Amino acid sequence: MNLPPLHPERDKAVAYTMDPVLMAVLANRLNAIVREMSNTLLRTARSAVLAVVRDFSCAIVTADNQLLCPGEGLPVHIFGSALQSQSMCDLHKDLTPGDAFLHNDPYLGNTHAADHMIMCPVIVDGEHLFTTCAKAHQADCGNSIPSTYHAYARDIYEEGALIFPCVRVQKDYQDVADIIRMCRRRIRVPEQWYGDYLATVGAARIGERRLTELVRRYGMATIRQFVGDWFAYSERRMVEAIKKLPSGRLSNTGYYDPQPPVLPDGLAIRVDINVDANNGRIEVDLTHNEDNKAFGLNQSVACATSNAMAGVFNCIDQDVPHNGGSFARVSVKLREGCITGIPTFPHSCSMATTNIGDRIVNATQAAFAAIGDGHGLAEGGIGMGAGAGVISGKDWRVNGSPFINQEWLIVNGGPGTPTTDGWLNYGLPVAGGLMYRGSVEVDESKYPITFKSLRVVTGGGGAGRFRGAPGGEVIYGPRHDPMTLVVSCDGQVNPPQGVRGGHAGPAAQTYHVHLDGREEKLPGVVECQLQPGEFVRGVDCGGGGYGSPLERDPARVLGDVLERWESFERARDVYGVVLSGTVEDETLSVDVAATARRRAELSA
Amino acid sequence: MPYRISVDTGGTFTDVVVTDSAGHFTIGKALTDRQRAFASIAAALEVAAEELGLQVPALLADTAMFLYGTTRGTNAIVERKTARTAFLSTAGFPDILLLKEGGKSEPHNLQMEYPAPYIPRRLTFEIPERINAEGGVDIALAEDAVRAVLTTLATRGIEAIAVCLLWSIANPAHELRVGQLIEEMLPGIPYTLSHQLNPILREYRRASSTAIDASLKPLMQHYLLTLESDLRAAGYHNDILVSTSFGGVMHLGDVVQKPIYLVKSGPAMAPIAGLAYAAAENLARDIIVCDAGGTTFDVSLVRDGAVEFSRDTWLGPQWTGDNLGMASVAVHSIGAGGGSIAWVDSGGLLRVGPHSAGSEPGPACYGRGGTQATVTDAAVVLGYIDPAHFLGGRMQLDEAAARRALEAVAVSLGETIERAAFAILTVANENMIQAIKELTINEGINPAESILVAGGGAGGLGAMPIAAELGCQTVLVPRTAGALSASGMQFSDIITEAGAARLTTSEQFNFAGVNAALADIDTRLDIFAERLRARGIISVRKRYFVEARYRFQVWELEIEVARNRFDDASHVAELVEEFHRVHERVFAITDIGQAVECLNWRGRLIASVDAPSLEPTRAVGTGLATADRLRAAYFGRGAAIETPVYLGERLPVGAIIKGPAIIEEPTSTLVINPGASARVSAGGRYILTPPKETSL
Repeated sequence: MNLPPLHPERDKAVAYTMDPVLMAVLANRLNAIVREMSNTLLRTARSAVLAVVRDFSCAIVTADNQLLCPGEGLPVHIFGSALQSQSMCDLHKDLTPGDAFLHNDPYLGNTHAADHMIMCPVIVDGEHLFTTCAKAHQADCGNSIPSTYHAYARDIYEEGALIFPCVRVQKDYQDVADIIRMCRRRIRVPEQWYGDYLATVGAARIGERRLTELVRRYGMATIRQFVGDWFAYSERRMVEAIKKLPSGRLSNTGYYDPQPPVLPDGLAIRVDINVDANNGRIEVDLTHNEDNKAFGLNQSVACATSNAMAGVFNCIDQDVPHNGGSFARVSVKLREGCITGIPTFPHSCSMATTNIGDRIVNATQAAFAAIGDGHGLAEGGIGMGAGAGVISGKDWRVNGSPFINQEWLIVNGGPGTPTTDGWLNYGLPVAGGLMYRGSVEVDESKYPITFKSLRVVTGGGGAGRFRGAPGGEVIYGPRHDPMTLVVSCDGQVNPPQGVRGGHAGPAAQTYHVHLDGREEKLPGVVECQLQPGEFVRGVDCGGGGYGSPLERDPARVLGDVLERWESFERARDVYGVVLSGTVEDETLSVDVAATARRRAELSA
Repeated sequence: MPYRISVDTGGTFTDVVVTDSAGHFTIGKALTDRQRAFASIAAALEVAAEELGLQVPALLADTAMFLYGTTRGTNAIVERKTARTAFLSTAGFPDILLLKEGGKSEPHNLQMEYPAPYIPRRLTFEIPERINAEGGVDIALAEDAVRAVLTTLATRGIEAIAVCLLWSIANPAHELRVGQLIEEMLPGIPYTLSHQLNPILREYRRASSTAIDASLKPLMQHYLLTLESDLRAAGYHNDILVSTSFGGVMHLGDVVQKPIYLVKSGPAMAPIAGLAYAAAENLARDIIVCDAGGTTFDVSLVRDGAVEFSRDTWLGPQWTGDNLGMASVAVHSIGAGGGSIAWVDSGGLLRVGPHSAGSEPGPACYGRGGTQATVTDAAVVLGYIDPAHFLGGRMQLDEAAARRALEAVAVSLGETIERAAFAILTVANENMIQAIKELTINEGINPAESILVAGGGAGGLGAMPIAAELGCQTVLVPRTAGALSASGMQFSDIITEAGAARLTTSEQFNFAGVNAALADIDTRLDIFAERLRARGIISVRKRYFVEARYRFQVWELEIEVARNRFDDASHVAELVEEFHRVHERVFAITDIGQAVECLNWRGRLIASVDAPSLEPTRAVGTGLATADRLRAAYFGRGAAIETPVYLGERLPVGAIIKGPAIIEEPTSTLVINPGASARVSAGGRYILTPPKETSL
């Protein structure tokens, strides 16, 4: 049961000596710097996936390659930043102020090829102190198909992305023009890419500027002491958080949807967890899964690790800082050549950040529910449905120039929890509600498409004492010219599961709406052409419920019906709550006696 | 002698500041009448008029300018007591206010309740119509359907209507027609059309500001128009200017059309006062301004000599609150003040606020029927507030009632009444410390490097322990602290803006179009300037701005434009140069060679009014301070201490007072804790040094 010590030197009492107020000021100053980095990227980027949706993350890593400040970046992007800064230090012994590195190599610590990471070493008085990291999901990365997600890529060659294994892209604060030319030649809509590249460099440079000012303001010694003490404090908080859990082994298996021909039967994703409360340590074992396959769904090291860690952090005290200090208390066991482990070259990791990654987060957080009531979470809404499709084509409004972008108008309901209903704008388990939503008006102004509707589905969440949040329904299509749509959706067959008696959320669906109105059901992963006048209709997964719906507070069910979260029918038949009166005249109320009878009936 | 009157109506008190043309300040304070603003203004004016040796009608008749701020609108939003408002959106898109723009804080905390939309989904109605991105009509407005919806609204007790249709900013025809139909079928029901209020791209922000604006209309229009007619009836006949979220003032007639600008009215003026006072004392350029009134505690900031603005204004938390859709002075407010009610929760913990006794019934010691213990009651019990000298002796407090109210809390805590009272002040201070940290430490601003300006009637009670806890070395308390926001209005510029959307690029610059837009802006500003000139305000300047971006960017960056007319390519080059420069400063990068797109042009007219002298005058004396009396006061450790009480108006410049001591001003009480000290500056203000360690 007890795990062997991971870091014997760390298991000594972790202590700090810095004045707590100054420590809090500095920790928050770092957060403010990362916020400014993020704001720079958001405000200057050109593709909607960055400038509107915020599919990017910024962070600060120490020179000895520990994550110091993740800001509010996406966990899947950021937890592995230190792997990438490590490769920068390993490969480049001549770090100089003014350097910037482009790194999108999934075999060298990056998430997947579509995430371009820019790193700037922060060098003050000749000493490398920090590395600023800005990682942005590109609208295009030069893949063989017009999508950054290539589910069927047999290997990295078929995937086709340009790979930069941590190459110097700026020297003396100027672009290395060779690299820029390579990208401009291969990445679709190069002007958009270059603008997004500038935005990402700008974010890393703003961080460099502000960190340098910080060191000048407080002095090298104070900053050094702060970094050590902040890690010690964070680790101590993590130990305390883990000690609140009972020790024991947990195991859970999630199922990835069938995806013919590469996955005719789907795929089991198993997660084993060992909680060692006495020693304040958690191990997540992802080794009991299948070997790498000839498709684009393999996890990278960064993704597998981050997604398992995210599942753990979702289930412990929220106030624990997320950095190298607390990370030292969670280990993720990976296996060489495993789908959920260390990918062997040239297996493709084109979709490592999402699909199977989302299943790892879900399986991990749902595993904790087995500890008992009040622990863990249900599974959250999954799948990048039509609302997250990659669209491309030509825009007649600007002389037929090409466009490509990933939409982000999905809702995907969040998981029911021990104390609350699921979070509505959940997005994906790997994003945990952090990403912004697209704007219909911004999308229609930037791309030649039209939206017919976008709404939240009534009754679209998994029922429970605390229900999963519902998904959304979106309908859109091209206006004037045909458009290519690539959708890479999971969750059509195996929807998010409830826990502790909670129901599963509804499955995702995608339809091709033809000119005559006929709806053709599409598989989860699909590439299709839409003609003007045709639409795609996507329905998102809802989150799983937590606890039995018959235990749901009838007052909450009443509120659900008043506010269109649930229908009268589901209130009566699933929750066993009988309502009288009407919404229109505000007389709707719970019929207490009838509800008691109905609930007795349903639980019989 | 023409006067200027500024008034701030808070949840508990109404503050009045009167200045004469020589710049003398006179302050009045009265309890707020929730029903009718003017009732309390008249009462507070009475106080000021008496001091000036005038009657109120004579004072009003001789007043050149009336400035007004109120938290009425904000309080209504916070308490969800705005009008029952319907939301009309394009068919197919009913959930804009529910979905907002996504995003949340705390990456791994999924145990948060998703916030309710500003307007409930059951009061949201879909209108069949559709305009496209270029302003073309894809689906004509179905007038029958609109009529059917409006008929339904009539039966559902709707008091206001917010209309936000997709792409109304590209073609407002459908919104305008819906507006006509509302006037025809529901005459008298106030409504807001999104393209008229806030013509910005992004449906959520536009819809949110539209919903907030409409929901405030019935309440705030009635409130302000009643005030106007009351003022006219009382003999005032000049301009009525209202303080807005931008930290400037606008004419009442304009602001009632767009009550959303009232959201930070009042509190947005506090940092302007803080800045003026700190500048007069040559103090730091980073200032934390605190205003503790009866109901709320407001924190705002001055950074590097400029009032801090928030670009995206959220009512409530970022992402999950409600977006105002426009920038405003950054003010963080919590429910904490003299009227905050103390209670003991089920776990036996002492809590203070967020509920307030307000002005009706008010704290128990007011003797107006309040029975629950408040912060003010605790201050009376501790001996900080002298029941015989509250508000300069104008309001007799009931000490016995305060003790009775505190007794219940003391019994629950198993403490003496004095210790319970001290605990109440300590918890209230702690709440305020947290609020200050939200705006400073959370943003990486170190309070130890800033000065703290403490204002508000209750601001002087905890200033010392709060500053000590935050590490602030210097606290500035003006003598007008009791009316900080109203004082700020006296220093505020009169600001008005005019804007026009005119899209053009640096490559093919539309000289004629841009010059026409700027000329139109000038015309509108000049009309306003002419009206000011007629009132003797001649110090007027104009500034011009444009929101611009590199081609393909999504978000704009505002830059100042040096001219109001573009004649040739060199003028455009100048603009592009400035854009590169600002882009580099803000975002660390430039894209030299890339075209710059210009979208929204704006002119701002700033009229400076003769700044009044900053403080009530005070004699230069010997520097020696003489206590008025001694009073037993309790400071948390040991027994009560015989503490000297000084009358503020008798303290000479240069006087140094060591704690423990109490300084009484007519509208506020300043507690100098043991170990702290106060100095009367040459400008007549109090400069305080907190104790080295807190007595918490």
